[in-house]
Amino acid sequence: MALNHEQPDRCPLQASFTPEFAARLRADMQMEERDTHNPHGGGNTYALERALGEDMLLTSVGWANSYYLDSQPYVDEWSIGWSPQRYETPFGAGYYTEIVGHPLAEDSAIDSYEPPDPYRPELYADAEAMIRAFKNEYWIVGVIVTTIFETAWALRGLSQMLMDMALNPELAHRILDIPFCYHLAAARKLVEMGVDMIWTGDDVGAQHGMLISPAMWRTFLKPRMAKFVGELKAINPNVKVAYHSDGNVMPIIPELIEIGIDVLNPVQPMSMDPAALKAEFGDRLCFWGSIDVQHTLPFGSPADVRAEVLQRLRTIGKGGGLVLSPTHHVQLDTPLENFWAMVHTVVNTPYSTLK
Amino acid sequence: MTTNANLERVYEAVLCGDREAAVAATRAAVDDRLSAASILNQGLIRAMDEVGRRFENGDYFVPEMLISARAMQTALELLRPLLVDSDVKPAGKMVVGTVKGDLHDIGKNLVAMMIEGAGFEIIDLGADVAPEKFVSAVRDSGAQLVGLSALLTTTLPMMQRTIQAFADAGLRDQLKVIVAGAPVTTSFAAAIGTDSFAENASRAVTVAKSLVA
Repeated sequence: MALNHEQPDRCPLQASFTPEFAARLRADMQMEERDTHNPHGGGNTYALERALGEDMLLTSVGWANSYYLDSQPYVDEWSIGWSPQRYETPFGAGYYTEIVGHPLAEDSAIDSYEPPDPYRPELYADAEAMIRAFKNEYWIVGVIVTTIFETAWALRGLSQMLMDMALNPELAHRILDIPFCYHLAAARKLVEMGVDMIWTGDDVGAQHGMLISPAMWRTFLKPRMAKFVGELKAINPNVKVAYHSDGNVMPIIPELIEIGIDVLNPVQPMSMDPAALKAEFGDRLCFWGSIDVQHTLPFGSPADVRAEVLQRLRTIGKGGGLVLSPTHHVQLDTPLENFWAMVHTVVNTPYSTLK
Repeated sequence: MTTNANLERVYEAVLCGDREAAVAATRAAVDDRLSAASILNQGLIRAMDEVGRRFENGDYFVPEMLISARAMQTALELLRPLLVDSDVKPAGKMVVGTVKGDLHDIGKNLVAMMIEGAGFEIIDLGADVAPEKFVSAVRDSGAQLVGLSALLTTTLPMMQRTIQAFADAGLRDQLKVIVAGAPVTTSFAAAIGTDSFAENASRAVTVAKSLVA
């Protein structure tokens, strides 16, 4: 209902976790170790999500599944090199996997590059089992993030990719087509299998403004995203499409709506004002996210978290149109009290009780 | 071609991010016996100043900034021996790096390039830089400025540990420390005892200039 611009009984909730936070949460909830929570990739049992009363379940196919693959350096099936980086928090140490090797760094590698095959049946086994088990009870989201631009920058290197877009558009188009074709094939397959929503996107926003100009977005990304959305809705006109970009993407929101995007994620509140977004676009666009992970969740108090959740329900969530979630996987630096403050406030605040 | 026209070509080439044209124009300006200092100030620095202004105005974004900075750096390489010969001193020396545990470096690279484009000497330590490495780089170079970068909330505490390492080494008083990165705010910067915080690469230039003034 929320994603049809209608007010449900309470605001729907979604949250995903870094592997280390998931382990801490499981321990706190005295859950079995056998459960797996992988924010990018397979093997999920969804025990955590279900125990928390979440309303959406996510299944991911595509290059983003290369995150968190190993605790040792590795090379994924795209030939992209990764290195786990250790960090410490008051709640223990964890690892982020970071991209360190770019197979298309040299121009000469581009023409002979062979991307992986998106038509392998095993890529969809998890999604199939999950849809079969949970379709009647949950809103099922097929995750195809890092759809075009982010995978391209991992292949080429971020700075080089950005310079290609400025200096050598023809080359940039060729590189962008590699992940685009792969992820479009994967998204089509998930829609055919019956997911309720596809979550697509690429980070094109920086903290205070766009990373690339709106003009450059129109040249390289908008036409591909329009084709992506169009093809999915041709398969199932009722499928929703959510678009993810971190940071501030204010200048392109009207055009995201124009090409058929239904939902904007993650609405980073330190970058864009959630209430202003609702006021300007709320009749045409739904929202998913809006709880700050840059300050409130890791460094605020439970009261701060509760106040932020209530503020969102009264503004960007008013009348529906919001799935509340943190703006990224909840990270290890988040106090459990803060996490629970978020969950309990959402679950225990029916819209009818809000003034 | 007049000498002014050569400087104008350097300026235009850097502004457009045309590396080949920037090098050719710099070479022509040198051949015309323009002083290295004037090519630096009237050509390269003036162009990067305009790049920063356009970024602030929302006319330039990261790709345009990157190609301009690259054109500037290539021209500067050509000019560097001449600057040394004519005893042109940098506006200041700055050590930059992304703190330990954090591999994200594009923000740090942009800041470094923009500050270099303002006539500073940059000692770039890269990403995932341990506090001790910052300390020895400052000691070896005699830099007056340090720029610390982080993208992750989990590596923000490493900024404070790095600043503490400068204090432990007895270097803190002679240093100005600037922090930057997506989760960094003015209040965080103040709380960990930095001298300044920059919201973006262009403002980092203004901050760097004010700290050595």
